[in-house]
Amino acid sequence: MSPSAAILRHEFQTQPTAARRREKGIFLLFRAATYFILLCGGLILGTIVYKGAGTVFQLRPPFLNVTFLTAAPESLHVFEYQGRKMELGDHDYRAFEAQHPEVKQAKAASYVYSAGGIFPCIAGTVLLVIGSISIALTLGVFAAIYLNEYARDGRFIRFVRLAILNLAGVPSIVFGLFGFGMFVIFFGWNVSLIAGWFTLAFMVLPVVITASEESLKAVPKGFREGSLALGATRWQTIRKNVLPYALPGILTSSILGIARVAGETAPIMFTAAYVVRDKLPWEVQHAMDFFFQGVMALPYHIYVVSSKIPQNEYTERVQYGTALIFLLIVALIAASSIILRYRLRDRHKW
Amino acid sequence: MIPARSLPHFLANKSRIRVFGLDFDDCIRVFFGGNAVISIIVLALITYFLFREGAGFFGQNYRNLAVYRQAGLEYVDYLRAQQDDHTALTRYLSDLRVRQFASDLRQKMSPAEANAALAGFDDFAGKFSDTVEPLRTLVSDLTEQASAIKTKFTVMEDKQEERRQLLAEGKSAEAAKVVIQPVDFAAELKPITGTLPAYRETNSEFARQVERVLAQAPALATADLQARLDRFKQLTRAYLAGFPAIVARLEAWDYTKPVPRRQAFTSFLFGREWLTASFWQDWYGILPLLAGSIMVSLVALLLSVPLAVGAAVYVNQFATRAEQRFIKPCIEFISAFPSVVLGFFGIAVLGQALRSVSQVSWLSWIPGFPYSERLNILTAGCLLALIAIPTIFTLAEDALNNVPRAFTEASFALGATRLQTVVRIIVPASLSGIISAVLLGLGRVIGETMVVLLCAGNRIAIPDFTAGLAVIAQPVHTMTGIIAQEMGEVVQGGIHYRALFVVGLVLFFLSVGINYVAQRIVRRYRISIG
Repeated sequence: MSPSAAILRHEFQTQPTAARRREKGIFLLFRAATYFILLCGGLILGTIVYKGAGTVFQLRPPFLNVTFLTAAPESLHVFEYQGRKMELGDHDYRAFEAQHPEVKQAKAASYVYSAGGIFPCIAGTVLLVIGSISIALTLGVFAAIYLNEYARDGRFIRFVRLAILNLAGVPSIVFGLFGFGMFVIFFGWNVSLIAGWFTLAFMVLPVVITASEESLKAVPKGFREGSLALGATRWQTIRKNVLPYALPGILTSSILGIARVAGETAPIMFTAAYVVRDKLPWEVQHAMDFFFQGVMALPYHIYVVSSKIPQNEYTERVQYGTALIFLLIVALIAASSIILRYRLRDRHKW
Repeated sequence: MIPARSLPHFLANKSRIRVFGLDFDDCIRVFFGGNAVISIIVLALITYFLFREGAGFFGQNYRNLAVYRQAGLEYVDYLRAQQDDHTALTRYLSDLRVRQFASDLRQKMSPAEANAALAGFDDFAGKFSDTVEPLRTLVSDLTEQASAIKTKFTVMEDKQEERRQLLAEGKSAEAAKVVIQPVDFAAELKPITGTLPAYRETNSEFARQVERVLAQAPALATADLQARLDRFKQLTRAYLAGFPAIVARLEAWDYTKPVPRRQAFTSFLFGREWLTASFWQDWYGILPLLAGSIMVSLVALLLSVPLAVGAAVYVNQFATRAEQRFIKPCIEFISAFPSVVLGFFGIAVLGQALRSVSQVSWLSWIPGFPYSERLNILTAGCLLALIAIPTIFTLAEDALNNVPRAFTEASFALGATRLQTVVRIIVPASLSGIISAVLLGLGRVIGETMVVLLCAGNRIAIPDFTAGLAVIAQPVHTMTGIIAQEMGEVVQGGIHYRALFVVGLVLFFLSVGINYVAQRIVRRYRISIG
């Protein structure tokens, strides 16, 4: 041992034995596993952001590809004209063809959904999320209030809790089948927005109930006891002294439910989603038609463009672009929930 | 204060409006209670509607199987099986040729020379494959006849249905006009069963031919290939030995023999084929789908459990606070990845990347490498692992967190190192929680739809387990995938439609069962500290 090292070491310092080195190695292994997971997640995110950014953003103002965000999907026609390679969406192609009839002879390849934008899908997804989360929040918060505020532990409540737990484990495709069997066929709603709402709402119900109950539990018992001691009824207590304090927590935790609703494809496949629809959701004749129309939705659109059309340089743009927009929406929702939750946890100290 | 009793009645009950004997507060209570019951109702409704749409399947499947027998399809299938077995043997020979050719090329022969050297073998293989011709002619004739009978029967059923509907609508005159031609199975089947003597003759000639060709088998260069050729001879002998059994089965076959009722169930639960919209006979056997689901989930769990549990241990025991605050939200963020985006990533990037990795020469020791199918069990399993990781991680971390501090402190006080404490104390103490986390992860993975639909390859067949671990390079189809893929294309109320609901029912009970077991484990073995 060198003299300087001998000065720095004191008697109780741990000695680097073989066993310790092995232990360190094993810690490193655990650490590697952790960061490997993050790396995988980061790689997927990175690939989609990298490849999708070219479609969604652009270098000149307004820096966002407005057509992609505001237009409906179109077929893309790729053809050669006077020695130049042209790529035109269906609409422009027809106009071009009318001006230059000789184009008809040129060899053209066309790819569905590869031009235009994805606006109807964004609109459909937003509508689906708003409707279903409203239903789920209403039912879920009321159920949670009952479970946390009114219910006495007993056979019935245990049964309810078991049902909630099991409902959380039902695969999303089974919810899709159920929604199809009940809303689409038995109620005769056909493939419609409202059928999708209820299917998705029932799917996230356990998430919302659990989240709401957690928030209600976080409100200290003293709040309730104080109110009851002053002669308020139970309902008055809940309304004035529990809900206001629990509501921020309920909403933040439920955002995770929103992310789940927005991200699911299987339940809406046969209850609410259309592969393609010309009209936008609000272009209906009667107000009632609004509820009973199918919509295009982002997740379903991704499924369609990634499985039903070939992978090549022309279709890739819309595929990655749609995936990026979708991921951004879901990530925004999820991130806001996570951040808000951590904020809330630090702030609420009663 | 004045006691309530002394007040006039209307004053004492101020704002106590009673509905069905309940006051306002009770009403609210009941209303909230009603909302809580909704989850039970939904669960019941799911079960009810799955049963409602799926229950008819078994009756329809029974009729499907009955027609299969009555129309003589079953009879013809015995012969078809014989023919298919021969085709399999021929394929074995061509596989042998490919191997021989490759080994010749390795020994610096030019392709032309190698082909010339294989001329004798080709002659043998050609003769062998020709022996089946007479049987093939017979089978194709019979196939046509049998499907004609089946068509007649379906037409008759359709007509009957038409008449029934007309009668239900009260149009008896039109109903009487619907011509129903009854199918006389006995008469229709006569030409088919009548070929039995001819078949016997063809068959014995066929057996003689195969024997003769087999005797002329050429010798192969290397011992390895010669062993394979001997195996081929052995297989062919076994094939020939099975002939009398086939003849006996044909002789014993009787279309009037009723199909056992339970076969409607067994052919679904243990059926090895899921074959729909075929010209010949549809089969609804869940085994290939179940096997696919299980294989994909197994691969996903094998990948995700070590990673997720390792990460949970790390974050809970070793990580600094700053690291914790970074890692936990990140993993939660991964759980928010929509599965369809992961599926798209699998199709667009991962499938291709994994295949390229598999073709790297120094990795060829890994079973199944190199492989050629881009979308297979492995691709889907990798992505599903990423879906399972956040679930397992979060729950396992919770379980580790619940281990009382006293345990850790006691262990340290006794002089155990950090690692010893983790491995011997903390992990065993939270094992029930970790197991239930893994089970819940399994439930999540087995019910996942979009990833397997996009990335599992969608080949409906039981994976070939004889390949050993290389099975992970095969494409499969899953229960969730089949529902998502075929639900949009089926006739409502048809047998195929109902079969998909029954698959959904199986999936439902499977995942609820897994979930239930996981909850039980947690509750049963939760450590309690006084």
